[in-house]
Amino acid sequence: MKIEVSRRKFLQGSVALTVLGGSTIAVPNLFSNEEEKAKPKLNTKTGTGEAEEIATLCEMCVNKCAAIARVENGRVTKLDPNPLFPKSKNMLCPRGNAGIQALYDPDRLKYPMIRNGEKGSGEFKRVTWDEAHAYITEKTLKILDEEKDNRSSFLFCAGEGMAEHTFRTFYSAFGSSNWLNHASICLMTVAAGFSTTLGSYPQADLDNAEYVIMAGANRAEAIVTPDTMDLFKRTQRRGAKLICVDPRFTNTAAKADKWLAIKPGTDLAFVLALTHVVLTEELYNKQYVEDHFNGFEEYSDLVISNKYTPEWAAEITGLRADDITEIAREFMAHAPRSIYYPGRRSTFAQNDFQLRRAMAIFQGLSGGIDTKGGLIFGDKIPIKGHAGLQPIYDRAQARASGKKDELVTGEEGYDDCAVSTPAGSWIGWRNRYLEDKMDYNVRGMFIYKHNPVLNMPNSAKTIEMLKKMELVVAIDTMPSDTVMYADVVLPEAHYLERTDPVKTFGGLEPSIAQRNKVVEPMYETKPVMEILKGLTSKLSKPMFEITKKYDEVVQEEVSERGEASVFAEFDISQPFQETQEALNEHAVHHYHGAAEILKEKGVYYPNMDKYFKQTSVNEYEYYPENKRAYQVNGGKPKTPSGKVECNPANLAKVGVDSMPMWKDEYNYEVPKGKFRLLTGRHAQFTQSGTSNNAMLRDLMIENYIWINKRVAAKRGIEFGDMIEVSSRVGKTELKAYPTEKIAPDQVFFIHGFGEESEELTWAYKNGGNDNAVIEDVIEPVYGAAAMHETNVEIRKV
Amino acid sequence: MARYGMALDYKNCINCKACEVACKEENGILLGADAHRIWVGTGEIEGQYPLLDLTSNTFYPSQCQHCDDAPCEEVCPTHATYYDDNGVVRVDPDKCILCSYCMNACPYDARYVDDRTVTVDKCNFCTDTRLERGEVTTACQATCPTKVRIFGDLDDPESEISQVLRTRESRTLKSHLGTNPKLFYLL
Repeated sequence: MKIEVSRRKFLQGSVALTVLGGSTIAVPNLFSNEEEKAKPKLNTKTGTGEAEEIATLCEMCVNKCAAIARVENGRVTKLDPNPLFPKSKNMLCPRGNAGIQALYDPDRLKYPMIRNGEKGSGEFKRVTWDEAHAYITEKTLKILDEEKDNRSSFLFCAGEGMAEHTFRTFYSAFGSSNWLNHASICLMTVAAGFSTTLGSYPQADLDNAEYVIMAGANRAEAIVTPDTMDLFKRTQRRGAKLICVDPRFTNTAAKADKWLAIKPGTDLAFVLALTHVVLTEELYNKQYVEDHFNGFEEYSDLVISNKYTPEWAAEITGLRADDITEIAREFMAHAPRSIYYPGRRSTFAQNDFQLRRAMAIFQGLSGGIDTKGGLIFGDKIPIKGHAGLQPIYDRAQARASGKKDELVTGEEGYDDCAVSTPAGSWIGWRNRYLEDKMDYNVRGMFIYKHNPVLNMPNSAKTIEMLKKMELVVAIDTMPSDTVMYADVVLPEAHYLERTDPVKTFGGLEPSIAQRNKVVEPMYETKPVMEILKGLTSKLSKPMFEITKKYDEVVQEEVSERGEASVFAEFDISQPFQETQEALNEHAVHHYHGAAEILKEKGVYYPNMDKYFKQTSVNEYEYYPENKRAYQVNGGKPKTPSGKVECNPANLAKVGVDSMPMWKDEYNYEVPKGKFRLLTGRHAQFTQSGTSNNAMLRDLMIENYIWINKRVAAKRGIEFGDMIEVSSRVGKTELKAYPTEKIAPDQVFFIHGFGEESEELTWAYKNGGNDNAVIEDVIEPVYGAAAMHETNVEIRKV
Repeated sequence: MARYGMALDYKNCINCKACEVACKEENGILLGADAHRIWVGTGEIEGQYPLLDLTSNTFYPSQCQHCDDAPCEEVCPTHATYYDDNGVVRVDPDKCILCSYCMNACPYDARYVDDRTVTVDKCNFCTDTRLERGEVTTACQATCPTKVRIFGDLDDPESEISQVLRTRESRTLKSHLGTNPKLFYLL
C-alpha cells in the first residue's frame, strides 16, 4: 500500500491511515446482541427537540473531566464539556466524546456469567445475580474453611476509577492483606520520588510558567487536565518556552522550542548534569537553599566530585553538552517560573525513583516550589469519607511476601523491594505467586475494572496466574482478556449509568465534582455498590461462621458478649446498605446546598456562584487571581522538616542510595541487531480500556510499530508490512510504520492493542500487544514494572 | 442574518482529534476513515533522526472553508450546494445527484460522500443541530482542549471573531484562487 499524504489522508503521530481493516466477527454467543454486532456502528445525529441535560464526569481515562450528557428519548446523543469544572476547563478530548460508543458498545458485558468450559476458553453460561452470588459464596467459603479463616488467601486488585473506592471498601471488610492496583504499573515511582524529596507529589502551574522542561512526559498525547490545556496555549513563543526531552519525536516535541532526542533510561544523567552546571556556576537560589534544603552540601559534593559534567552526560545521553549547559542556565534565569515537569507515567527505567528525586532537587535549587509559575501543592476542599468496616481477623496473615531469607532486595520475586507500600508490586507479587514462594496459599481473587493480562509486562505469566487461581471473580464492563479467564463475571454498569462516590479535586483552583447517573443501567448490569450489596448480604453471615470456627479471639468475644453484638462488627454487608446518592449527600452535607448543586451542575466549590464567570467564547474564570492556591505552605516543601530532602537517612537504612547518583548499569546499550522497545500513550486511546471503541478506532484503526525509516529500507520493510516483534518472554505481530521520528536502534508502539478476547469485535487480534513482549523487569525501590528495559528482535512476516 | 466564519488559533492544536469526534457525534457522521467533515492535517516529518525539522510537523485543523466564492457551489449542476442566509455553504440532500463535481472543484478536499444521506456532504457549522437549538458554538469549538476555534458572526463588529481578526494577523488558505474563505488561521 502506498502512503498517501493529503489533507484528508495523512500520517499522524501513530498512523491512522485509510483502509478499514477487515474486522473479525466473533462467533455469536451470549456476549453480544447478535443482530447489532455485525453492523457497522452508527451514531445518532443530535436532535433539536426536547432533551435532558445531565451533568456527569467522564471515565474514558483517569482525568475525570466534567461532561454534560444530552439525552433524547432515553438515549445519550452527545457528550459536551461542562465548563464549570476548573480541572477540565471546558473541554472533552476525543475519548471523552466517544464515551457514547462505549455505552452502546454491543460487546458490553450484559449478564452475570459462570464459566462453562476450560479456563480462558471464553465459554460461559448466563446465570441470575443470585446464582452468581451463591456460586461465589460457596467457593469462597470452601477456601476460607480450608485455609482456616486466613482472609489473605484472597487477592484483590483494581484499576483506577471513582468506584475503585467502593471496591476497596469490600477488600477492607473482607480482611485480606493482599491488595494490588495500578500504582506499580503506573505512577508509583514518580509519586514516591517527589514525596520523599518534597513531601508531596506536586502539580505544575503551567498557566504561569515561563520555562518548562518536559522530559519523558508527552502532554500533547498523554492528556492530563488541566496541564495539557494550560501548556499548549502558551508554547511556540507565546509565553512558555518548552524543552521536550524524549527518545522519540512525539506531538509534544512538535510543539516544543527544542527537542532533545535522549537515549532511553538516561534522563537521570541529564538532570545530574543540569545540577552540575547550576552548582558549579552558582546559578541556584542561594537563599532558598539556605532556608529550605537538607543535605545540600553532601549532594553538591557528590555531584561535583563525581564530575557529572555536561560533557560526561553527553556521552551517556547522546545529547550535546552545550545544549545541557544552555538549558541549565535558561532554567535558572527564568526561576522561579521554571518547571522541570514531574510527569505522571509508568516507570520506564530501573533508576526511575532516583531520577524523580534528582528532578525534585533540581526544581528545589531554582526555588520554584509552592509558588506561582513553579511546582505547586494547591489546596483541597475537605469532604467526609465513607465509613468503612475493618474487622480484625486474628487468623488473617500479613501481606504475602516472599520467604525473606531466600530473597535479596531488588531481585525478581522480592515483592516488597526496598520500600513496602499498600499498593504493592504487581509483577513481584504475581511472579512470587507463580513460583510458589509465598508463606501461605492464595487461592482466590476479586478483580475490579482491571485488565492485568494486557496491562502488565509478560502477559503469559499473568494468564498463568489467572489459571492457577481457584476462584477468579471479575467485575467489569467489557469482555477483556482478563475477564476471559474469570470463573465468575459480574457486569458493571457503564459510567454514564451510575452515580459514583463524590470526589474532591485539589489544585490551584480546588473543587468538588460528582459523576451523576445519566441513563438507567442497560441489560442486567449494576453499579459496584449494588453488586457488592448483593454479594456481601450472601457472604457475610456464613463467612462469620468460619471466623467463629477458627478465630479464638472471636470465640471468646462471642462467649462474653453474645453473637449478635460481635457479628455487628463483622457484618461485611454494612458498608453497602446505603445508596451512593445518600452517601454523596452525607459527604458534602457541611457545605450548604452543595449536594443539590452537585446533582444539578456536577461541580461545586465555595463561592462558585460569585467567582465563576465566562471571560470569552471559550474561556472561563474559576477563581479570582488572589484566591488561587499558588502558595499554601509558605514556599516550603511539604516534608516534615519543611526542607528539600537531598540525603534522607531512611533510604540508606533500606539499602537505597540516599542521594541520586549514576551507576554504570544504567548505561543504555542495545546488542547489535536488536532494538530497544518503547511503549507509550496516545490521545485517542486509554491503555487497553478503549481498544474496542468503534469511534476511536475510526481515528486510528490499529497500532503500528515505528521503525526508523533507514533501518526499514535496509531490511526491505515497507509501510503496512506485518512485523513480528519478539523478546525473551513472547511475541506479537503488528504492521510497520517506517519513520524518522524514532532512533535506528529503537522501536515503538502504543500500548493497549492486540487483545486476544474473541468477544471484542473490534479489538480482537487488532494490532500488537506490547506486554506480550515486555519483560518483567522489577524496579528495585518500589517494585514497579520497568517498561523500557526490553530489547526485541523484529522480523517481517 | 449573519455571516458566519471561524478563526483558528492553529498553533494551539495538539492533533488530538477531539474536534473530529465531537463533529461525528453531533452530526451523526457515519464511521469510516474517509467520511468525515473535519480533520487535522499534518505533513510527514522532515530530516533525519535526531535532526528533525520541528516545524515540518505543524498541525493544521481543517475542514470546509465556507468560501464566499465557493467553487463547489459554482459547479453544482442542480444547485444542491447553496449559500444559506448566514453565508454558510450548505447542501440540499434532495437536490444532490452525487455527480461529484463539487468534490473535484473544492480546492480544500472538504467534500465527501455520506452514505447515510446519499449526499456529497460537508461541514455546515452545526447549523441544523447546535445553531438551530440556539447554541452559539459549534461542536468542534466547544470540545477543543486547547481552544483552537472561535466561531462567530463576521458582520458583527462586536463579535469575538471580529475583534480577534482586527487585533491579530491571520491568513486564509489558497487565497490566490479567489475563493474568499471564511476560515482564518491566526498567526
